Amino acid sequence: MDDAIKVIFDVAAFASIMVLVVSGLAVIASLMGIFNLGHGEFVLLGAYTVYVFREWGLPIFLGMLAAPFVVGAFGAVVERGVIRRLYAQPVIAMLATYAIGLIIREIVRGLIGGQYYAIEEPIPGAFQVLGLSFSIWRLVIIVATVGVMIAAWLFLTRSTLGLQIRGALENPALARASGISTTRLYALTFAFGAALAGLAGALMVPLFSLSADLGVRFLVQAFLSVMLGGVGTFEGPLLGAAMIGAMVPGFQWLREIPGVSDGVSPVVAEVLVFLTALVIVKFRPNGLINAGRR
Amino acid sequence: MNDKRMTRRGFLRGSSALAAAGWTAAGTGWVLRPSWANAQEGAIKMGIATDITGAIAPSGNANWQTAQFAVKQINDAGGILGRPIELYLEDTASDPGVAVGNVRRLVQQAEVDVILGGITSAMREAIKNPIVRRGRTLYIYPQLYEGQECTPHLYCTGPTPYQQCAELLPYLINETGAKRFAMPSANYIWPQLLNKWAREVIEANGGEVVMEDYFPLDQLEYSATVAKIMSEGVDHVFNTVIPPGLQAFTKQLYEAGYYDQGSLSCVYFDENSVHYVAERELEGVYSCVDMFHTIEDPFTQQLIADYNAMFPGTQYRFTAGTASTGMYRGIKLFEQAVIATNGDLDRDATSAAMDTAAIENGPGGPARMVPGTGHTEMNMYIAQSSGGSWNIISSAEAVAPNECG
Repeated sequence: MDDAIKVIFDVAAFASIMVLVVSGLAVIASLMGIFNLGHGEFVLLGAYTVYVFREWGLPIFLGMLAAPFVVGAFGAVVERGVIRRLYAQPVIAMLATYAIGLIIREIVRGLIGGQYYAIEEPIPGAFQVLGLSFSIWRLVIIVATVGVMIAAWLFLTRSTLGLQIRGALENPALARASGISTTRLYALTFAFGAALAGLAGALMVPLFSLSADLGVRFLVQAFLSVMLGGVGTFEGPLLGAAMIGAMVPGFQWLREIPGVSDGVSPVVAEVLVFLTALVIVKFRPNGLINAGRR
Repeated sequence: MNDKRMTRRGFLRGSSALAAAGWTAAGTGWVLRPSWANAQEGAIKMGIATDITGAIAPSGNANWQTAQFAVKQINDAGGILGRPIELYLEDTASDPGVAVGNVRRLVQQAEVDVILGGITSAMREAIKNPIVRRGRTLYIYPQLYEGQECTPHLYCTGPTPYQQCAELLPYLINETGAKRFAMPSANYIWPQLLNKWAREVIEANGGEVVMEDYFPLDQLEYSATVAKIMSEGVDHVFNTVIPPGLQAFTKQLYEAGYYDQGSLSCVYFDENSVHYVAERELEGVYSCVDMFHTIEDPFTQQLIADYNAMFPGTQYRFTAGTASTGMYRGIKLFEQAVIATNGDLDRDATSAAMDTAAIENGPGGPARMVPGTGHTEMNMYIAQSSGGSWNIISSAEAVAPNECG
């Protein structure tokens, strides 16, 4: 029973981290049809913003609040300078985002000297329930993820702006004919996705420490999530992310079942995550949720 | 914590510092010529092949700075037998594939008399043959490592598994009462071979290994492992998980309340660790390396002070975990070898002299090569982290490497 509570908490925490990381990618991939290969570095920029605030002697939570705005603004600049010119060529756009990501990563590597830096949580430590110890910051991340996802979903489905965004993506020509500026909306969407990435990086960096490769670590799993959930909706990739995020600690926990740990090493458990995802994609090639945009 | 702050200006200054410090580009590598010359015999050519860029750059840059520092000391004191040392640098770029070609340049174009470098075992494996066999050049490998490197003309100047375990593990068992050990590890050769040694020492001293697991190097989720450590009643974690996996692991261990139940040791932790492990998670952790900044040896203290004076505010500090100690030791041992051959730089002659070389003073104390083994006898120190610094709790003099013989 104790173990079960522990498993649920840990699985929920890591799934939340994945959802947070994937949300920005999902917004841009699903709503704009562009796979942002620099997404991992947008996440890294969010984490780096927190580090810079700390180095300036400012409170860490202030850095976390600022990160989505900083990275969102950066996203807007990238959209204006590069992505905007490449909407007609999605593959070129994808390569461009990869290049941008590479540039960001290597610049940050230079700035931090290639080192690893521990970033303190604004609320450190653990709390005790039923004699079990739980990480406070992981709980904060679970709550924040649920909150942000609800807000983002409401924004996209209930607000006028969200309606315009969805409309512009569904049928750009008609949207323009109806007096909606699609250029402005695309810029806004890209910035919004970047801001979500920045927030993800800022919130999770205390758990993992800052390094130039922070974002790369998540990128493959994030793309797998999008593939698993299906492109074209906001909630599909998030569902995929939650599943990937749950499988990562989940398969590690499987090893605690007597007899399993001998056959399944941690390395095998990691591979199983990808294997399971690929099997699901094999049977649902369009992803778990693919309604609406066929 | 703020001493390593990097501003944009500092970054730019850093990249132009190469030129300012007297470095000149030679092909793709760099040469640091001494400020004086010996007209009769010319300079002794020393090649440094290390990771200036890429994932291992923090250690590589520390090695490179250490080499400049040691060579400057030797040249300022009149060189080796009146001949200055000329330093040649090639970036191995944390990539064994790139490294082989660059190292070949040191051997064939610069025709250096000795090469020092390599941080990871993969790098050493990649460059040792181009240097020692095909290149017929002396090779000195400075990093603490997993042992079993017995190639002729290759000299290891960092600690071996035996040196890191033989004192630490019995201390933990006898003095802290640790009995049930867990060995969470990154899945590569250093942890695998180190753990083999560690397990032997633990079991010989009446301890027990209840868990030995190997994780992907960048694994970020350890909840199941931590839960097992808690439920198995582990009272000591002998950690060989490395960054980037390390931070997630130590945090989850801390948050699970493990430190009420047991302690942790990690034999690559040094003065840099406080930057990548949160201070409260580092509190009470043990390490065992060949030098800490807190040892009382006056020579070591002077060495650190001089290094910091040469590279003020550097983020690449002179520590044991980055192989700086092995690099300094290697250069000074080579100096002794050249003195012993009376300046004969023939590979076989210097190698024979290197085999028995010794220095009275080095980082952490004296050191000497154990003849016929290619490994170095040195002092080892056990320390415990407290308030961000390492308190020496035990030391052992002239610990044998116990390799190759």
